[in-house]
Amino acid sequence: MATPVLELERVSKYFGDFPAVQELSFSVPAGCIFGFLGPNGAGKTTSLRMILDILRPTTGSITILGHPSALKVRDRVGYLPEEKGLYKKMKAWSVIAYFASLKGVPGAKAKRTAHELLERHGLGDFAEARTDTLSKGMSQKVQVLASIAHDPELVILDEPFSGLDPLNQGVLEELVLDLKARGRTVIFSTHVMQHAERMCDRLLVLARGRKCFEGSVVEARRLLIPKVRLSAVGDLRALEALPTVAALNHLGPGEWEIILRAGADPQSVLSACFTLGLPLTSFHATQPSLHDVFVHLVGAEVATEDP
Amino acid sequence: MHRTLLVARREFLENVRTKGFWLSIIIFPLLISLSAVIPAFLARKATPTRTFAVADASGHYEPLIAAAVRSGDGRRSNRMTGPPSTPLPARTRFHLAPLPAGLKSDMDLATLEHQLRPLLVSQGTNALFAAVLIPRDFGPGSTNAVRYWCANQADSGLRDLIERTLRTEFRREEYTRQGFDPALVTRTEALQVPIADLNPTKAVGTERVGLADQIIQWAPSLFVYLLWIAIFAVSQMLLNSVIEEKSNRLIEVLLSSITPTQLMMGKLFGIAAVGLVMLGAWLGSIFTVALWQTRAAAAVATAGSGLSELPQALVGLFQGTWLLPAFAFYFLCGYVLYAAVFLTIGSLCNTIKDAQNLMGPLMIILMVPLFLMPFIPRDPNGPLASFLSWIPLYTPFVMMNRVSAHPPLWEVVGTTIVLLAFIVFLLWACGRIFRLAILRTGQPPRILELLRWVTETKSS
Repeated sequence: MATPVLELERVSKYFGDFPAVQELSFSVPAGCIFGFLGPNGAGKTTSLRMILDILRPTTGSITILGHPSALKVRDRVGYLPEEKGLYKKMKAWSVIAYFASLKGVPGAKAKRTAHELLERHGLGDFAEARTDTLSKGMSQKVQVLASIAHDPELVILDEPFSGLDPLNQGVLEELVLDLKARGRTVIFSTHVMQHAERMCDRLLVLARGRKCFEGSVVEARRLLIPKVRLSAVGDLRALEALPTVAALNHLGPGEWEIILRAGADPQSVLSACFTLGLPLTSFHATQPSLHDVFVHLVGAEVATEDP
Repeated sequence: MHRTLLVARREFLENVRTKGFWLSIIIFPLLISLSAVIPAFLARKATPTRTFAVADASGHYEPLIAAAVRSGDGRRSNRMTGPPSTPLPARTRFHLAPLPAGLKSDMDLATLEHQLRPLLVSQGTNALFAAVLIPRDFGPGSTNAVRYWCANQADSGLRDLIERTLRTEFRREEYTRQGFDPALVTRTEALQVPIADLNPTKAVGTERVGLADQIIQWAPSLFVYLLWIAIFAVSQMLLNSVIEEKSNRLIEVLLSSITPTQLMMGKLFGIAAVGLVMLGAWLGSIFTVALWQTRAAAAVATAGSGLSELPQALVGLFQGTWLLPAFAFYFLCGYVLYAAVFLTIGSLCNTIKDAQNLMGPLMIILMVPLFLMPFIPRDPNGPLASFLSWIPLYTPFVMMNRVSAHPPLWEVVGTTIVLLAFIVFLLWACGRIFRLAILRTGQPPRILELLRWVTETKSS
């Protein structure tokens, strides 16, 4: 793996006595889409603010683009905060150009980029509109564009999908995927699993300020115990002896359910059936959704915290 | 520095684009020029000619009143000395009407008043503004009063005219009775006492106190008022610009792009520039109106000595060594200082309403120099002036009043350093509060909490 774009090492943040984030360590490789998942109050926004050095961690260290503080690499990072707002009296293009120029883009180029971005994302007709006349979806798009107008290497989006209709969510997904295609790194936080599942290369799940998972979507799915449902003319009890099988249940005439061991591949059951010559009529491996994984992880975490 | 200018540019352009800015730019000169024109206009046009009647049973005083009305005494009567009254304006203020038909001066007082009364309250063409009844035995030492009948108690012009005319006549009669020549009395009354004002601090040969010195004496007050106006012109903009970014949560995007100090400096310069443009426009318009008025006055009056001295005096003031630069310096310092105070208040608050609660105490602080201003110049290097100079919030106001009195150099340097340090501290502190305010939405913080925020170590 190339040098990570971002690396956190045992980062904790206390507000008074309240631990918002505890002992958080993870790293984000370059060029990936990194999902930041967790229920409300899990510490997502606090972590992102620490990454941007808007807040300073109580303990631990953060390395971003090779520097200990995001303030040193401000111009190479784009940020969309959770609570969104714009200058009400400014025109759409000038807001984007202003934020780009604050990130070091020269005036004329900032203006040109702003118009290009608006045009490319279907807001060309609204470039001259004052932002308080835009719909919520449009102004959120303008804010996202403002956060990427300086073409940052690392884009951090806090809850970018919240409040958008499915159509605009789709547009935003494309935008994020496009950033990745151009070699940029995107970190976004969400509590909507479908986005994470579709887009993320890697995930971090936070609950109560602690990390409870870091890895790929496939790895996340493996956390859940996979089940296989089988229909067969004959008896399938022979499968019980397989090392990947934890239990075999006879549900009814010709209907079976196999509970696999954690991390086991359902394909192992199918290939065993062929080897053993078992007469299958149907094979259905249920793929656990990220949502199931999330509930499993977060629920477990909550359970251990509340005895 | 570059990004500070970007912030300043945005703040300037955004505020200059508001309707409010252009309204204030236009309304103020409009008011000034109107205030120069309107009273004269009103005096000329809006006050109608007052028609009145005199029933003079003595027969002696009516011609004097008639002469006073004809001479236009009502307009320029207060000038006891100087050139003779200017010619009558096109429209006379008073008109002495003959008594209505059937009435005679020597009629019974009760009958006359009974007959005149309806005319005094009527609105018709033969209506009277006032009626003046002079008793038969009226004269110096008389206990019998002139009876002045008038429904309008607010416009006392006519009453004053009559009183003045009769008093002058009483005096003349009395002087004559005592055996004085009235012409001698007039000459005696016109005598003046020449006083030459000399100032020992000025160079030999130029000690004479002229108009320029008077202007220099008034200049600090002018600058103090200018400073006040300038501060108030932009105070709302300063508060708004910080509070908007806090309530919109733009604060996070901004702080991921620039440092809080850059942001605050940018706001300060941008909005201060708006205020200076406004002030410049106002001063320009006042100057234009003043020039126009002076020219108009010069066209009417014979070239007065005071007027020809004015341009020289102004030149003298500008050449007046370091006084003007000193005023300008303290003006700018005071302006930046209070702008920083308003930014700090803005950074403490999430809504304009919160900010207004904090404005009350600040207003009181700002009133103090206005109340103390008359006392500072009387004892410019006394303990009060000296003490106040060391309070940064008052340094600009007080020092403006003190510079022409040559305060001790160490005080000038010391207070200026304290002032500049305080400005830097304020900018740093409000940037810091602004940054820490990300964590806070809701009520403004309590004082203790505030102190903790500001004093918290940089690493927190």
